[in-house]
Amino acid sequence: MTEPEPETAARRIAGEARDRIRFEEDALQYADQVYRVARRLVPSREEAEDLVQDTYTRAFRSWRSFTQGTNMRAWLFRILTNLNIDRGRRNQRTPDLQPIEEGDYFLYNRLEETGGSEDEQVVEKLSQDGVVQALAAIPHDFRDVLVLVDIGEFSYRDAAQILDIPIGTVMSRLHRGRRILKHELAEQAVGQAS
Amino acid sequence: MEDCGDPCIKCEELLQPYVDRELTDEERIEAEAHLALCGYCARRYRFESTLRRYVRKCCEEQMPVELKEKLLALRTPLL
Ligand SMILES: [Zn+2]
Repeated sequence: MTEPEPETAARRIAGEARDRIRFEEDALQYADQVYRVARRLVPSREEAEDLVQDTYTRAFRSWRSFTQGTNMRAWLFRILTNLNIDRGRRNQRTPDLQPIEEGDYFLYNRLEETGGSEDEQVVEKLSQDGVVQALAAIPHDFRDVLVLVDIGEFSYRDAAQILDIPIGTVMSRLHRGRRILKHELAEQAVGQAS
Repeated sequence: MEDCGDPCIKCEELLQPYVDRELTDEERIEAEAHLALCGYCARRYRFESTLRRYVRKCCEEQMPVELKEKLLALRTPLL
């Protein structure tokens, strides 16, 4: 039973294996969140599944580049968004921005008109599919930010780090993305009413 | 102070980070003071928050079991 003192190298390897296994367990705890965000970043379920698998493959391979004690969730989502950008999307035309005007409040006014006392009741007139479709209609740059903040529940600062853009850009893209979302939803609401 | 009525840039700038809980304490107090007095912005705030929550709810989706298994298989095998 009395083993000789393990050599330093052997102990280091064993320690590293433990760290690695712990890292993998920790990373997998975010899998549902990663999947939920991936689903909104790419058009199909199959692509989302591939993206999630690629994300974890890369994360596990480059686990040493993760600094213990830093934000693992943000680190994983950075891999996810980088892989998604690498997939050769981009070069999308962004729609011209209209000035803030009545159109921005159209959804709000429109839904209020149709009755319902509480905002929850008002908003729930929008179908789940409708919301998903409206999200898909938002151009990538704006959608990335909106999905990270609204679905991933990241702070502006984390979203800025994940996407490697300034916080001011996060805020303006988020604002614009939400406007496009509301615009899409308003069009659906009009379509239903007529 | 009364309702701004028409959307104003200042409110619009404060509203979004307020909805997202990104304001400093000082800014938050400023925003809340305005919302207490301005029915228009208060309604808009409630609506934007509710819409944000609803969007999140619409995107709740369980990962397929097969995918979860594939991810588990990516782990380093235990010796
Ligand atoms: Zn106001």
